[in-house]
This record gives sequence, C-alpha cells and structure tokens, in this order.
Amino acid sequence: MGRAKILIVEDDEDFRRSLNVRLRAQNYDTVFAGDAFAAIAAATKEKPQVILLDLGLPAGDGFVVMERLQKNAALACVPVIVITCREPWKNRERALKAGACAFFQKPPDNYELMAAIRNILAPQNNGHNDADPTLLTEQATP
Amino acid sequence: MSESAERVLLIEDNPGDADFVRDQLAQEYVDADVTHVDRLSEGLQFLSEKGPGLVLLDLNLPDSQGAETYRRVLDNAPNVPVVILSGQQDEELAIRAVHQGVQDYLVKGEFDSKKLARAMRYARERQALLTSLQMSRQQQLQFKDQFLSHVSHELRTPLTSIHQFVTILLDGLAGPIQGEQREYLEIILRGVNQLRAMIGDLLEATRAEGSKLRLEPRCLSLEELVQQVVLLFQNSAADAKIHLRTEVERHLPFAYADPDRMLQVFTNLMDNALKFTAPGGTVTLRAHTVAADAEFAYISVSDTGCGISPEAKPLIFERMYQEDSSIDRSKKGLGLGLYITRHLVRLHGGRIWVESEQGQGSTFTFTVPLFSLPKLLLPLITENGRLRDAVSLIDVMLAPLPTETARQCWKETQRRCTEVLQRCIQPTKDVVLPSRGGSTEGDTFFIVASTARQGAAILSKRICDQLEGCPPIKLNSSWKLEIRPVPLPSEENSLDHLVRQVAEQITSMIRLTIQQNKETGCATGDHE
Repeated sequence: MGRAKILIVEDDEDFRRSLNVRLRAQNYDTVFAGDAFAAIAAATKEKPQVILLDLGLPAGDGFVVMERLQKNAALACVPVIVITCREPWKNRERALKAGACAFFQKPPDNYELMAAIRNILAPQNNGHNDADPTLLTEQATP
Repeated sequence: MSESAERVLLIEDNPGDADFVRDQLAQEYVDADVTHVDRLSEGLQFLSEKGPGLVLLDLNLPDSQGAETYRRVLDNAPNVPVVILSGQQDEELAIRAVHQGVQDYLVKGEFDSKKLARAMRYARERQALLTSLQMSRQQQLQFKDQFLSHVSHELRTPLTSIHQFVTILLDGLAGPIQGEQREYLEIILRGVNQLRAMIGDLLEATRAEGSKLRLEPRCLSLEELVQQVVLLFQNSAADAKIHLRTEVERHLPFAYADPDRMLQVFTNLMDNALKFTAPGGTVTLRAHTVAADAEFAYISVSDTGCGISPEAKPLIFERMYQEDSSIDRSKKGLGLGLYITRHLVRLHGGRIWVESEQGQGSTFTFTVPLFSLPKLLLPLITENGRLRDAVSLIDVMLAPLPTETARQCWKETQRRCTEVLQRCIQPTKDVVLPSRGGSTEGDTFFIVASTARQGAAILSKRICDQLEGCPPIKLNSSWKLEIRPVPLPSEENSLDHLVRQVAEQITSMIRLTIQQNKETGCATGDHE
C-alpha cells in the first residue's frame, strides 16, 4: 500500500492549510471537504484511511457527519479524529460515543495529534488481545 | 403616625416582652397584623407557610440560643427583613448579626413605639434594596456567563491560526529559521500559550459557576503530589530568587481526590505565592493531619510576600478580583485563579481559607478528604444491613504496548479503562477502587465484587469483552485479569467492625499484588 490518505473536514481555511502542511511533511496524502455534505461525498469517493473532523460545520455539524458515516457500511470503520473549538466537557464524550476515536480541542498539540494518526495507521495494530474468557487468568498480548 | 398594615411575626418567649412589643405596635399601626410565637420551630414553620412582611426576633428561645437563632431564620427566609430584640447583655451579638444579614436591632427596655416603627421601616427599605441588588447581580452573572462562553469560543479560532503557523515555522516546516528568528517566534508562542491558559480559565470559571466541573477522585499520595509541585516550580522559584521549602508529615495517609484538580489547586496557589513574594523570600508547602479533624489532610502554601489588606481578605476568593498593588502587569492574569481554586476545593468537600497580615506574608490553607476504604465498601452491605455472603477481588493489570504511540496515549488509555470498568460493574453491589495512578509501566485496577468466584468469572468475561471492544484500549495496551475470593470474617460483630475487617483484608491482598508485581516487573499500581 502507498501513502496513507487523510480527509480533512474543516471549514476554516487557515486551519485546514496548517494541517495540510503538517500532514504532507509526514508523507500523508490529504483531501478536503468544507461542509458536512461534501464530507460524505469525499469519504465515499476518496476512501481515506483517517478522517480529521471539525464539529462546527455548514450543512450539518460534525455529529451529523459521524452519524452518516456510521450508517454507511463502507465508511463505518474509517477512524475519525475530532478537532474542534468546542469545549471538551460538553463534546468529548458525545464525540467518542458517536464513533470518534480521539478528541482534540483547538489549538491542538500537534505532536499528540500526529502521534494519534500514526497510532491509528500503525500496521501492528490489527487485533491483539485475544483473551480467552474461559481462563481465570488471562494474558492478553503475545 | 399611622402606617399601612404590617404583617409582623414576633418570635419571643418572654410574655411580658411580647405584650410590650404588641402595645407599641398597636400605637403606631392602626391595623397591625401581629403573629406571636414563643418557639423558633413554630416561627420557622410560620415563615415557610405564610411569609410575613417582617420578623421581630428574640435570640434566646427555649429551642435555640444566640447566633444559631438568627442564622436559622436568615437561612429559611433570606428575603424577609429581620429586626433583633436583644437584651442589654447580648448587644454585641446583635451587632454581629447585623453584619451577617439581619437588618437592625433594638435593645429591650430602651425603645418605644417610635423607635420600633422607625427600625421596622428602615429594615424593610434596606431589605428591598438588597433584594433588587441581588436580582440585578444575578442577571449580570448570567449575562456574563453567556458572554464569556461565546467570547472564549470565538477567541479560539484566531488563536489557533497563530498557534498553528508559529509552530509550523518553529518546526522548520516552512524552511530553516535562524537563531534570532527562532527566539522571537518562541516569544510569540509563549504569548499564545498564556492566552490559551487564560481562555481556559475563563471557561473553567464559567463552568464552576454552573457546577459543571466533574471530579475523578482516586487514592492520592500527598507526598508525591507535593514533590510534583516542587519539581514543577523549582525553576521559576530559582529564577525569582525565592526559596522553596516543604514540611510534610511523615507517613501521611492517602487522600481521596482528583490528582489533576489537586495539582490545579496547588498551581494556582503557588503561582500567587511566587507572584507576590520578593526576591530573597520563602514559599513553604505544608501537608499534615489534625487530630481534631481526622477525615481531612491540611495543606498550606505560605509566602513571605506583601500580605493581603484586611479590606481585600473577604474579596480575594471572588471572581475577577485583583489587588491593584505593586504586581507588575506582565504577571497579571484574569483574577479567576482563587475563585476556581475555592470551587475545586469545595467540590472535594474541603475548605479553603487565608491568614495574612499586611507586610507579613500570607498562608492559604485547604483541606482534602483522606482516603477511607471502609467508606468505599458501602456496596458490600445488603439492603437489610448485612454483609454480603461472598466477596471477590478482581485485579485488572493493564500495561501499555511497547510502542511510542501507546506510551503517549497511556494516560488516556488508563482513563478509558476506568470508564469501561465502571460500565461493567453493578454499582449497587460492586466497587471499582480508585486507582493510585499507576506508572508509565502499567497500572493495576482493583474491583471488589459482591459475588463468589463463578460470578466474578462472568464479570471478568464481560470486562474482557468490553476492553476488547474499545479500540483505544485494544490498540494501545495489553491486560491480564485475576480473581481472588476475599475471606470474610465469620464472628458475630457489629456491621461497622465487619466492614472494617473486610477492608483490612482487601488492603493486605492489594499490598501483596503490588509487591508481587514489583518483583516480577509487571503492571503495578505503585511507584514507590
């Protein structure tokens, strides 16, 4: 497989651009969408490996996007990282429940953000932890 | 002079005094509507049912004495004006009452109908003024909260742009930068981070107001916390030429508190102490217990700074309060630090106060609840007040996978694991014990479950399924579960005693696990 492709769903052009610079520097391909509607279209067409998603968007917010992704069998398993100005205490848990695998408030710590993306894309993370429930003592990882 | 009808509640147990007051009222008011009771309890009941226009209150009643009497009246009817009828010997107390919300007082034997009517009139007017002041203050607060929420959200967007592109330049992603350029960019980044912290404070204060802050308390070593604070502040103290001292009681028991929030409390107090202390001064951190208050630890931060003026003392914990004194502008924040600090301390069930002499420095002291295992074991008691038939201890040993990303996400993984465990148990029967925070190598969570081995095995399976189903945990960690039955005390004893015995039993089992883990180098909840 070649370079991983990341979809940035973000209506703020400056922020989109800053993410683009960082992601390109890490050898990722990037594609963009500026609203909720375009996000689903781009996800379907481009088949990204990761989606970076803002919550405040035109044409339906980030939660609407996640809901639609979840309902689409082909897109439900694409990992989503939420990056938003909104407050974590109101939105963090809600976003994680809606299917996001990480939550960052703006301005994000870029090192942590890049680490989260690397982590999601890391090839060794393809299902370990095969715990045998019949045992009372379980060792999860080889 | 006659005034319009006045509904007065007279709380007075001396019949002679009561008759005298009635007479005086009758002289001044044609149709005075006086209700007389001689017990505080009756008075409070009348207050809650009828809501009189004014209360005339004797302080020494058969069922309540002194300050207690007016405090209970004020608590029950904060908007009803109160005039105290005091004896000559307790005039001092009456004066204190006026400072605490009572509108006026009259000394028995020294007033007539005119003085009584005047005191009542002024009391009513002052109370009305106060009520309208409070209302407009409330409206202001509400407006401010909405405004702050909105503003801080809007501020984040441009702040994010600055942050993003300054860090891009600093990281060399837009070409190499030279020494002096780097220096200036770092100055910008410092400013950005200061702004970011201020925006955080703004919202924190707004949240505190709406009691939206949530705690994640755990078993917390105060010694370690103090060490952490010293590490955090030793450089800035050295830069400011201020000595840092610690006085921590030996073998201080664990506290039961949210470590991040406690650190925040400390940070706010330390920031202030360093801010107001001149070079050559000393800041002292103390942590100890007090025999008379066995459920709390007392923690204080003392400085040798400029101290707090008597006028400022009652105000410093209010929001937006800043003393105009000699502090230089680059050190100024938003005046929200102590307000948030007090809120965090209270949220833990503690208290905070300050002792200070102007020019002599200040000592801020707060209390934190101590960890008590028996208290946490409440779910082991059945509805009919008996100890459960069987209890098991489940150890969940969690360790980060040996990857860089797993290590970076470790704190988050631990947090998620706690959430998963909380979801799996039945809160009315089982308890997830507060974690000690673990180390970077691993963390062990302990669950006390009201069930025998078989039930515990079912619970363990549920936990494994849930951990497996949570991608952030699955991708970043490995785990191991172990079940051990807890031997229960058999002898007939008081429930309190039995629970304490179980707690001791569990403590020794946990100690053993931690000891074994340490020897085998496995996930450990201890990092001593």
